[in-house]
Amino acid sequence: MRPALVRVRGRSMLPTYREGDVLLVLRGLRPRAGRAHVVRLPPDAAGRPRPLAVKRLTGRDPDAPERWWVDSDNPAEGVTSFDVGSLAEADVLAVVAGLVWRPLG
Amino acid sequence: MLSLFRVTEVSAHCDLPCGVYDPAQARIEAESIKAIIAKVADNDDPDFRTRAILIKEQRSELVKHHLWVLWTDYFKAPHFEKYPQLHTLFNEATKLAGASGTKGELDAAKADELLAKIDEIATIFAETKKA
Repeated sequence: MRPALVRVRGRSMLPTYREGDVLLVLRGLRPRAGRAHVVRLPPDAAGRPRPLAVKRLTGRDPDAPERWWVDSDNPAEGVTSFDVGSLAEADVLAVVAGLVWRPLG
Repeated sequence: MLSLFRVTEVSAHCDLPCGVYDPAQARIEAESIKAIIAKVADNDDPDFRTRAILIKEQRSELVKHHLWVLWTDYFKAPHFEKYPQLHTLFNEATKLAGASGTKGELDAAKADELLAKIDEIATIFAETKKA
């Protein structure tokens, strides 16, 4: 189990995590359905790589049970499995353990 | 790349940048409607009038489109709580761009009412941007 720190950019995980939040994440654990994770999303339609993202694993892909379905907490925003399909387990890099620091104000 | 000693940025974004909204889009179309109404008033050519009316209806549809995008995509629940008049404003503004407003009529006063409603929405929009 290897800890790491990440900072959230964007609004797709509102109301749980917001812009600027610093999260403690743990690598080397098995993904857990229902928890937020740091994931690698597939490249966009133009083939450009997407940045690492924080998304919630909602569960296994019903059509491919070895893969994970990811969603944003904010239904109005964010790239999700509804856009890019489910993710291979190798693309689930770390589980979010908790909020370390939230910007003041 | 993930480390305890360096904070890695992780994205919670859409593919397109967020926040590309502006009531100015609706205003430009409404200005165009007002100008078309003035041009038609000075012109008896039936072909010109037909074309002008066609364009006026298209522009009215565009006003509704731009307002609805703001209503559904930009403004969020906390905005509607803070500005409870927003729903009514959008309803009235899009009605003013509809068949009983600038789309169906050649009334410059309706175009002015529409512009005023868009400005009311733009004022609230500007306040939410400051927050």
